[in-house]
Amino acid sequence: MKHLLMMLAFTGMALPAGAQDFSQGSEAKPWNLYAEQPARFEAKVVDILCELTGDCPTDCGGGVRQLGLLRDVDNVLVYPNKNAQAAFTGAVVELLPFCGRQVEVDGLLIEDPDLKATNIYLVQKIRDVGDAEWTAANRWTKVWAENNPEADGKGPWFRRDPRVKAEIAAHGYTGIGVEEEQQFIKELFE
Amino acid sequence: MRKQLLMAAMLLPLPIAALAAEGERIQVRGEIIDTWCYYSGVMGGPDAVTGTAHHTCALWCSAGGIPVGLLAEDGQVYMVLKIAGDDASAGGDTQLRLASHEITADGLLYHRDGLNYLVVEEVVTDHGITKLNHEDYGAVPPFAIPKPGK
Repeated sequence: MKHLLMMLAFTGMALPAGAQDFSQGSEAKPWNLYAEQPARFEAKVVDILCELTGDCPTDCGGGVRQLGLLRDVDNVLVYPNKNAQAAFTGAVVELLPFCGRQVEVDGLLIEDPDLKATNIYLVQKIRDVGDAEWTAANRWTKVWAENNPEADGKGPWFRRDPRVKAEIAAHGYTGIGVEEEQQFIKELFE
Repeated sequence: MRKQLLMAAMLLPLPIAALAAEGERIQVRGEIIDTWCYYSGVMGGPDAVTGTAHHTCALWCSAGGIPVGLLAEDGQVYMVLKIAGDDASAGGDTQLRLASHEITADGLLYHRDGLNYLVVEEVVTDHGITKLNHEDYGAVPPFAIPKPGK
C-alpha cells in the first residue's frame, strides 16, 4: 500500500494535471493572448501520429507530421501549434532536430475551457536537457526561404508562397471564386 | 481505498507502444480550420476565424505548418493528423486544398489529454466552402486582402 502511494505521488498522478503551474523559471515573452500562461518544462519530442496510433517512421515523419511534447512530470501530451514567429508559422521545423530527445522548452501554454483549448503550446525556445544554450524557435521562415528559392523577393513569405498564391489565383481570397468576390473587394476598399 | 489505488496504478504511464490504441470509428461533419487562430484568439473571436472571412489566413497557417482541425457543428474541434492516406499534417497539400472547406469525414478518433485527434480515412463529401461570413467580418486579419493594384 505504501509503495503504491509513493509511486502515485512520484508520477504526479496525485495532482490533477490542470492544477500544475509550469511558469516557474519561464522567460517566455507574452503575446497578450486571452488564455496564455508562461510555461517551461521538460519533455520528449514525439511524433503525435506515432504516439496515438503506433504508426512510427524512424525520423518522426521527417518534417511532414505534427510533433508533440510528452511532458516528463505528468506524461501529458502537449501540442505545440505555433513557433515564436509572428508569421503564421508552426512548430514542427523547430522541434524536428530534437525528435525523440529529452528537451526543455519555454513558451506559452493556452488553456481556454470555453474553446476546449487545453495543452496547446507556443514554443519560443528549446534545448536538450542539460544543455546551457537555448535554440530560439524562429527558424521557420529561413527554412522556407531555403526550400523556395524561386519565391525570393520582397514582402513576407505568405505573400510569395507558390502554393498559397496558386490557391488564391484559383479560388480568390475568400475561397468563393475570383469573379464572385470582386464586388466585395471593391467595397472593402471604398 | 486499496481497490481505487490499484485502479489508479493501472493508469500509470506506459511505454509508447503500449499506449497506442485502436481509434473509435466516427463520421463527423465540419469545417477545416487553422487551430492556432481558433484556440489563441489572436485574430478575434471564434466566429471571425472561420469561413470566407478567414480563408486567406487559413491558407497561410496551413501552408505555414500550423495544425489544422475539423470544427464540428457541435463546437468540438478534432485535430487532424492524416487525411485519406496523406500524413503531411504539417503543411501538406491535401489539408491546404481543404482550407475552410466543410467536409464529412470518416475516420478514427483518439482522445488524449483533453484533445480530440482524428485520422481521416476518407473524405466522404467535400461540401466546399459553406460559411459565408466575409460580408459580416470583412477580411480577418484586415491585411489578408491587399488593396487592388498594390
